[in-house]
Amino acid sequence: MSDAPLFEPRPPDLPGLWIKDSGPENDVVVSSRMRLARNLRGYHFKPRQEEDEGKRLTEHLHGVLSGLDHDLRWFDMEELSPTLRLVLFERHLVSREHVDDERPRGLAYTTDGTVGVMVNEEDHLRFQVFAPGLNLEAISERIEALDNEVASRVEYSFSEQYGYLTSCPTNTGTGLRVSVMLHLPALAYRTSTSNDDEPGIVKVNNAAQQLGLTVRGIHGESSKAEGDFFQISNQVTLGRSPDQAVGDLRDMLGQVIEWERQVRQILLEDDRLSVEDLVLRSWAVLRHARRIASEEALQLLSSVRLGACLGLIDGVGVTTIHDLMVSMLPGHLQFRDRAKLSPDERDAMRATLIRNALAHSGPTS
Amino acid sequence: MAKCDFCDNPATVHMTEIKGGEKTQMHLCEFCAKQMHPGDGGSGGVQKVLEGLDPKSLGGPPLAVRLTCPQCGMTYAEFKQHGRFGCANDYEVFGAELKPLFKRIHGSTRYCGKTPDGGAVDNEEIEQAVRAVRAKLDQAIREERYEDAARMRDEIRVLEAGEAQADVADNPDRDEGDPADHPAEGEA
Repeated sequence: MSDAPLFEPRPPDLPGLWIKDSGPENDVVVSSRMRLARNLRGYHFKPRQEEDEGKRLTEHLHGVLSGLDHDLRWFDMEELSPTLRLVLFERHLVSREHVDDERPRGLAYTTDGTVGVMVNEEDHLRFQVFAPGLNLEAISERIEALDNEVASRVEYSFSEQYGYLTSCPTNTGTGLRVSVMLHLPALAYRTSTSNDDEPGIVKVNNAAQQLGLTVRGIHGESSKAEGDFFQISNQVTLGRSPDQAVGDLRDMLGQVIEWERQVRQILLEDDRLSVEDLVLRSWAVLRHARRIASEEALQLLSSVRLGACLGLIDGVGVTTIHDLMVSMLPGHLQFRDRAKLSPDERDAMRATLIRNALAHSGPTS
Repeated sequence: MAKCDFCDNPATVHMTEIKGGEKTQMHLCEFCAKQMHPGDGGSGGVQKVLEGLDPKSLGGPPLAVRLTCPQCGMTYAEFKQHGRFGCANDYEVFGAELKPLFKRIHGSTRYCGKTPDGGAVDNEEIEQAVRAVRAKLDQAIREERYEDAARMRDEIRVLEAGEAQADVADNPDRDEGDPADHPAEGEA
């Protein structure tokens, strides 16, 4: 680990938490994200990079990104406290590797937190753009503009045969990963009126594979679907253009969103008492608990989110829940308190945070 | 030398299957042939090849392993082990060895999209056509309709003809190929 202080001497200019804003199709879609991987000609990829070269590259790209028309701020990652790095990870602005790596690297970001550029991660540049709800067109335009602007100032590694050359062959080509986070509690539970059917999410998974898409948990690669939150993203970056990848994803999402809505209604019509029981028990625990671990909190928030969307709970919207899903994580709790907290202390603080956020909510009368 | 029906390596094993009076020929490289388990009746063998080759069960091709990038020092063996390139030049040096890998990961070896200077590389129509035939081919193999599968294989060849010509120049003295392992995803 570096000698960076645990906490900054003064509060840093933290990027905003955009996920608490509302967006299209918010009852099912939590957020949309797009990422582009790019490398510069004349520099080795990460596995073959000497420290000096990494430093030169990072400084060069810091200069390039600062000169753009996107009002990007800059963090040298190695100068940040472990807590702040964790906060950035919890906001999806940096990867776990970017947190832990000890080589020269940086993050350029906008103050609203919707744009982040990891510099010298696995690839020299990893552009990311986020939006609340389903908003693929907007993020697509924004990331294109950013990429084109950088392309006019540097020379990318590119070949006619393989497109943009990346360190990992799974990204070769467009370097694009477009992913959408969905809340699918009804499809994770079952598919239709028959309880014997396999859950709808199994069918979503199968359909996704046919389209070169993949379904993952909340934290991406190999993570479990905690709280019935799923990410659907493209896998294929060679042989399909970005427009086609986005189009395939959009087509599939349209169907999944409608299906989830239908099954939610079916569940409500078939067994309203069970749905109400699940939602209100979850709400009651969150409303009164004095200590709660993040996994349990996420599961219960998922049920409360379902209740809010079905009109079973008043006084809490999906945006409050999205805010809590991030604010309750260990990095955010410690950053907020400016102290290193033990797991027990974090559980108590998390419970207080959630109780306060749900203070004015209750069962729909 | 003719190419393997399932990858870009030279075909060294030639198989003939006669079923219902119809004769179907397969031309395979050593690696794909090993995956077919010749002698077990053939059923399911082809599917196994298409589902992905298990590199653990294959012997390493000596020429491919000796490939080393003069710019970054990355060897093909090292790339295979870690699944990461060391520099852009590796794509040139490892040349045709990469094609089976990209086919397996992406189902394609051709880029579709924009260029950094604002142009476009457009292979979309060919790619769509290849994907459609490949889906039918998978189905035919699952149903053990090998005559149909062979016809579809030829159809894919015709569609990919432009690419096949380009392959010849990639690595002419190579006598064996090795499909690299599918590396772990490096997702942020």
